[in-house]
Amino acid sequence: MKIIFGLAVALGLLVFLPSLQYALAVDAPGEYLDRRAEIWGMFYRLMLCAFIIGAIVQGTMVWLILRFRESNPKAKPTKYEKAGEW
Amino acid sequence: MAEHSHWPEWVYVGVVVALLCYVGAEAWNVERLIEHVPEDAEIIKVTGQQWLWTFEYEDGTKDVGELHLEKGKAYKFEIYSKDVIHSFNIHDYTVLMDAVPGRINTVWFSPTEAGEFPIQCREYCGLIHYNMRAMLYVSG
Repeated sequence: MKIIFGLAVALGLLVFLPSLQYALAVDAPGEYLDRRAEIWGMFYRLMLCAFIIGAIVQGTMVWLILRFRESNPKAKPTKYEKAGEW
Repeated sequence: MAEHSHWPEWVYVGVVVALLCYVGAEAWNVERLIEHVPEDAEIIKVTGQQWLWTFEYEDGTKDVGELHLEKGKAYKFEIYSKDVIHSFNIHDYTVLMDAVPGRINTVWFSPTEAGEFPIQCREYCGLIHYNMRAMLYVSG
């Protein structure tokens, strides 16, 4: 419970603090920048993150399926299977 | 449930949450950077109507179907629509903003190369939408 609460507070701050900073700085003049480089750079970085997250999720699923299949030599029957209650 | 270790699950959750936090922070930061207009940006009024673009410069002169800018200067576009929703797009400079009747939307950029670049409406706005084009001329 403490972990979930801590995580919620951390995520809340991660959303709240940038919003606050943005709200306070919204009238400050900007700097010259190459819009194309910023936007495409961000696109490639975020796509990299998306593929890493996809690989983690898919990899975990493949591992889970292989590791916990019935035919795995390391597989142990659950207590229900052992008792023949299923 | 307490019979086995949970650390791989927490590592899994931690890595994914950390990456998602990075995605949010990065997107926020880039948006903040590209939305802040430099102080010396020239304001250009862009009006979309079926099916052409009109550009009004700060000195009051107007161009229809062509936009003339200088390389290295910053320009802030105030985007209007006279009829339906259009979308002002300079593809080569990653500029894209909707033109909505009754609203003034803004977007800014600074051309980094001289040349000619197509401008196109990116929101379906009627029969001749496909040909609602203009040309950006950037002088060096």
